[in-house]
Amino acid sequence: MSQPKEIFVRLDRCVGCHTCKIACSVEHSKSKNLFEAISEQPAPKNRVYVEWVPPDRKVPVLCRHCEDAPCMHACISGAISRTEEGVIITNSDKCIGCWTCVMVCPYGVIGRHLETRKAYRCDRCPDLQVPACVDSCPTQALVYRTVEGFSGDVRQDAAREMISGKGN
Amino acid sequence: MAVKQMQYLIIGASAAGMAAAEAIRKLDSEGSVTVLSDEQDMPYFRPMIPFVISGKKKFSEIMLIGQGPYQGANIDVRLNSRVETVNTADQKVSVKSGEELPYDKLLIATGSVPNIPSDIGGVEAEGVFVLRTIADARAMARRAETAGHAVMLGGGLLNLKAAFALLERGLDVTLIVKSPEILSRLMEPDDTVLIRNALNKAGLKLMTGSSVTRILSDSTGVIGVLLDNGGEIPCQMVCIGKGIRANVEFLDKSGILVDQGVVVDKFTCSNIQNVFAAGDVAVTFDPITGQRIVTGLWTNAAEMGSCAGRNMVGRPSAYSGTFGILNATQVADEPFVSMGIVHTKGTDYETHIAATPKAYRKLVFTPDGTRLIGALFIGDISRAGLYRYIIRERMSVKDIKSDIVNHRLHYGYFLR
Ligand SMILES: Cc1cc2nc3c(=O)[nH]c(=O)nc-3n(C[C@H](O)[C@H](O)[C@H](O)COP(=O)(O)OP(=O)(O)OC[C@H]3O[C@@H](n4cnc5c(N)ncnc54)[C@H](O)[C@@H]3O)c2cc1C
Ligand code: SF4
Ligand code: SF4
Repeated sequence: MSQPKEIFVRLDRCVGCHTCKIACSVEHSKSKNLFEAISEQPAPKNRVYVEWVPPDRKVPVLCRHCEDAPCMHACISGAISRTEEGVIITNSDKCIGCWTCVMVCPYGVIGRHLETRKAYRCDRCPDLQVPACVDSCPTQALVYRTVEGFSGDVRQDAAREMISGKGN
Repeated sequence: MAVKQMQYLIIGASAAGMAAAEAIRKLDSEGSVTVLSDEQDMPYFRPMIPFVISGKKKFSEIMLIGQGPYQGANIDVRLNSRVETVNTADQKVSVKSGEELPYDKLLIATGSVPNIPSDIGGVEAEGVFVLRTIADARAMARRAETAGHAVMLGGGLLNLKAAFALLERGLDVTLIVKSPEILSRLMEPDDTVLIRNALNKAGLKLMTGSSVTRILSDSTGVIGVLLDNGGEIPCQMVCIGKGIRANVEFLDKSGILVDQGVVVDKFTCSNIQNVFAAGDVAVTFDPITGQRIVTGLWTNAAEMGSCAGRNMVGRPSAYSGTFGILNATQVADEPFVSMGIVHTKGTDYETHIAATPKAYRKLVFTPDGTRLIGALFIGDISRAGLYRYIIRERMSVKDIKSDIVNHRLHYGYFLR
């Protein structure tokens, strides 16, 4: 089996332009088109977040599809599972909006559709070869590679190593 | 690797038992994994049973195997198999049918049972319920078909969920609590304003500071309740939610140490070799206070069950404990998360409260203000998991304290 790919973040490259967020929202809209997506109801939601850390650092944050996914084990309805490709997905039909997953995700990357009371998160864009955020990033701060392929040069910048180093 | 094929025996086929079975199966594909349940139904997501009362879900939609992390492959689940005694000397258990089953490793995952207070008369009447199993949920749904008014005794989260399920079915529902407030285990009276408003809006009638002394019934079952002040409320069903206790009676003569629940070490093992325990039935500890606690949480049962499974296979795996309070839910249109220490009255914890008409937040720090020990979010619960992480890892909050207090924290702060 080939190594599954993951989305990595190169913090030194992010300029905080939020292009990835827009690309993500559009990909998760009904029309998949920016101009129509803007007026859709409920508004399409992005699953990648660009956070700002003082004094002036920008950090794209998104679901790490954790190996031991705390959200999946915590979900009280069985809505969260792992696909064969290793992607952790939330099944909206099963989700009842109890927000237990929000309470346990240590990255804070699960969003809530308030209108429909459903949790949502990065699904790695199942319809695309390369996730929309990665594809859209003008500075290539987001990369989509296998862990091995990525670990050579910039490993210490990858968000997931930082937190897993703390034992979660 | 194991020379002989191990026999893993698990009592209780719910969160803890099934999570353990999955964990064992992952690490040992040879051994036999048998899970005994005294219920008539295949395992299901217990917290989902209120949806069966309301009619929003069918039983088939809340079944456990095949969903989330539960594959159920090569796991032998036996229903109608109540374990009556555990013989730890000969390493076997005896089942109601008379059958005896030997084990190499045993997991006690029998969960908890609802308390029925002895000071309420008439609880045996038809139409009086405690909500714990799918069978209870079905019986409640049946009674609700003809009942017009339900009285709920106890203001805990489970009873609130049951109350909502009945409201959704169109019943009138009155919740009676002795304490001055609802959800008193998860928040303090001053914290409950938003939740109470949401309950009012949803049509729940709330009576605080009263209690029921007797349930009145005739040949049709429940017809009302008698209050301590002498008043009477007519109703056709009553649901008792007065807390839970560990399901340990059957262990009486087993030699397994019980103190509120089965006492286990860091590796989920009881005082007797090869006997483990996890979930609601086990006594665990709170990583913040170090105190022994029994929790009553699905999340804890699943996590502790996986851990026990690994230990049973011989992969020592320490359980990190859980907060006594670790609840997320939504009542009516108000989401909330309560975790760690949130009761601050009469303590010297450093407490920060921010209340707006739409959101409420309370952050509790140690008296010296250096560590976060509890958080309550009502209305806006976004990124609650980060706060849980800070509490659990006992992180120093020096640099990020104002961001915690103002609910501005995000993962980027951990990357500095
Ligand atoms: C209505 C409701 C809503 C809830 N909502 C939430 C929620 O939102 N979040 C949350 O975290 N938790 C919630 N909980 C709590 C959660 O369901 C429990 O903490 C969890 O189910 C505990 O799992 P367990 O495996 O330890 O035990 P249990 O789920 O109690 O399962 C134990 C099993 O063992 C069986 N058993 C007992 N004795 C024997 C015996 N001698 N022989 C054979 N079988 C036996 C029992 O019948 C049962 O099937 C809710 C509970 C209820 C009832
Ligand atoms: S939602 Fe959070 S806990 Fe779940 S897999 Fe993604 S990062 Fe991990
Ligand atoms: S909000 Fe939905 S996905 Fe998250 S734990 Fe609850 S049911 Fe599961």
